[in-house]
Amino acid sequence: MTIFHFFNCAILTFGPHAVYYSATPLSEYDTLGTSIKAALVYLGTALVKLVCLATFLKVSETDYFDPYQELLKALIGFIDVAGLYFALTQLTHRNISQNHKFQAVGLGWAFADSVLHRLAPLWVGARGLEFTWDYILQGLEANANLVLSISLAALGSLMWLRKNKPKTLIPIIYACAGIVATMPSTTSYLKRGLGWQLPKVVGFELFTSLVMAFISWQLFAACQRPSS
Amino acid sequence: MAQKQPRDCEMLESMYSMLALVFILVACVELCDAATVVDVYRLIQYDISGVPFGSRLASLNHHAGSLHFSPGADLSRTVVMIPVRELNISFVKEYISQKQPLGGLLFLLPEMFRLENEGGGGISSEVQEKQLIKNVLLELERLLIHAKMPYPVYFAFENDEIDSVLNDVKKNDATGQPATATTGGYKLVVSTSEAKKVASPTITNIQGWLQGLKAEGDVNQLPTIAIVASYDTFGAAPALSVGSDSNGSGVVALLEIARLFSRLYSNPKTRGSYNLLFGLTSGGPYNYNGTHKWLRSFDQRLRESIDYAICLNSIGSWNDELWIHVSKPPENAYIKHIFEGFSSVADELGFKVGLKHKKINISNSRVAWEHEQFSRLRVTAATLSELSVAPELLESTGGLLDSRHFVDETAIVRSVKLVAESLARHIYGYQGKNINIFADDSSLAVNPSYIRSWLDLLSQTPRVAPFLSKNDPFIMALKKELADHTDEVNVQHEVLDGMFTFYDSVRGRLNIYQVASVTFDLLLLLALGSYLIVLFSFLVITTRGLDDLISLFRRPPSRKIKTA
Repeated sequence: MTIFHFFNCAILTFGPHAVYYSATPLSEYDTLGTSIKAALVYLGTALVKLVCLATFLKVSETDYFDPYQELLKALIGFIDVAGLYFALTQLTHRNISQNHKFQAVGLGWAFADSVLHRLAPLWVGARGLEFTWDYILQGLEANANLVLSISLAALGSLMWLRKNKPKTLIPIIYACAGIVATMPSTTSYLKRGLGWQLPKVVGFELFTSLVMAFISWQLFAACQRPSS
Repeated sequence: MAQKQPRDCEMLESMYSMLALVFILVACVELCDAATVVDVYRLIQYDISGVPFGSRLASLNHHAGSLHFSPGADLSRTVVMIPVRELNISFVKEYISQKQPLGGLLFLLPEMFRLENEGGGGISSEVQEKQLIKNVLLELERLLIHAKMPYPVYFAFENDEIDSVLNDVKKNDATGQPATATTGGYKLVVSTSEAKKVASPTITNIQGWLQGLKAEGDVNQLPTIAIVASYDTFGAAPALSVGSDSNGSGVVALLEIARLFSRLYSNPKTRGSYNLLFGLTSGGPYNYNGTHKWLRSFDQRLRESIDYAICLNSIGSWNDELWIHVSKPPENAYIKHIFEGFSSVADELGFKVGLKHKKINISNSRVAWEHEQFSRLRVTAATLSELSVAPELLESTGGLLDSRHFVDETAIVRSVKLVAESLARHIYGYQGKNINIFADDSSLAVNPSYIRSWLDLLSQTPRVAPFLSKNDPFIMALKKELADHTDEVNVQHEVLDGMFTFYDSVRGRLNIYQVASVTFDLLLLLALGSYLIVLFSFLVITTRGLDDLISLFRRPPSRKIKTA
């Protein structure tokens, strides 16, 4: 029964990534290599982030929300953006269209994040006899994270790869990218600063991820128009 | 591209072995993340001459239930949680006597019985409740000890966590949904291996010797007075069987008497012309088996030199009357002498001592009092006790109830005064004279704090003989304490013989898990499946169009290979 529960949670956490890959044209163009490379870049970025966090952050004994520390954490969080930049621009991909490239990178990025942050707790926790909603919520969080990663990758590809985009949209793109990139800090603030419960936080994440995805999609479509 | 493929494959393969290794490591990690973990104490499991008694199983893994189950429900896979406060003794009786199937029983004892909980509350509002619980527990314990239950029976102490679990379970039961594998609820798990027989349980007797002063040129051996108390216990839950009264009070009194006389005997001027023999015997609940072995180990001369023996048994919770139990008729000169000595001191102290005569039956193996073991060897002996009648086998031996709360240390102080004073008058020949040797404010006064500290220690130490090892810290402590007060200490290890067989695993840890039902997981799987299907369709439609989705189902699956 508990293995069953683990299986369910694993489906919820990692299923959407697989579905995304197989349902979209990504699978047709065999972009798995790109995703794996993006995942490796994520691993490297996570390592750098860890080193930075360990160097600059004090170990807080309490769960108290310290604005200065959180700001620092948010700044370190921008290393993610740098990693994404590297993955999008510097990696030599096979000749795939920008359209697929950002999706593949975002997918690999989100998948690596899920594996790194959620697999171990899931394996340890969901197999136990004790039932909690935590792992199901965590799975939903992984879904939100997938959407956010792809949105961020889309915005990144708009910022760094697309040359002829409408001038009026540029500030909006940067603003959106900023919002998406600071999402982890925002949720951390909600959790610790405002003391929100996990279900509420996950609901917020799901909602914002969908909104951001919609906005990024619209922006992407708007930028697509002049070129086509 | 053709070059790249094999390299990827190689990499993946090496990754697989790494992953497998990691997974094996992770799988080895034992998980323990229960909502609540509590200490539980198992009902004793023992055989008398091969006839099984007590709880016959140790491992527990069933859903929790309460007494509010719907009538006629099948409880064979349910652990019934019963708080002793609201115990329905007829239910337990019925289930045990009719041998109804149960998954297990978990009795919740009130918090105040916890061993670490010291200092017996004397709050008046609790008194009535105490009395109520006392009666129920007595009956329950008698029932459980003499019954055979083919399922695990555990005791636990109430706390906030377990109370909230119980409330949830009750609520669940009240709505008519007994917790089974399909409806969720709480699961109680005690994972232990099956109980094993305790191979040749040892009993340890500790003896201390205070040498008397021989007059110059006296060739005769000095007479000896023995003071004896058995220190081990037997109760429904061996890990909770501390026996503060039976016979912790006797042990404490013996130690204090040894301390008092050691002060007298340390000075040659006040050393009496009697040897004093202090005996802490084991095996008390089992017909005083330890006393029997101890006496057999004496040499003939020592045994004949014993003037008389005073056994101390349950002297910690009486008000104004103590009993001296003897096996010889009261007309016997020695008995008369002892009794008169005791009753005159008791009169001075302001209470009564009664004499009870019970003949011993040599053909009956039952030994109800410790002095009967002496009497069988024709040594004059008496037992001082608050009990007016001889207890049955395995009763009044330190059960669940016999905790610090029900023991009054002033009673022990008075008993010590009685015994010490009567002995001293006998030894120094002050019989019938009103001389207070152990007067309250003298240097020889009875020390209440000494008594309290030993009583507290005894009230926290379960002492069921088969589960006490030879070198148990408690036995070592007794030995050291007696060695401090006497000239010579001997420790005797014997094998408990007779018809008793004991089984181990007397305590365990109970994990309480809140579990989801299988139906929930099935529904979740269905929901997730449909979510993924919807997501898939949505993605296909938005990125490739509806036609592609439809064609996906029409075309044979070989389509993918073509595109690759």
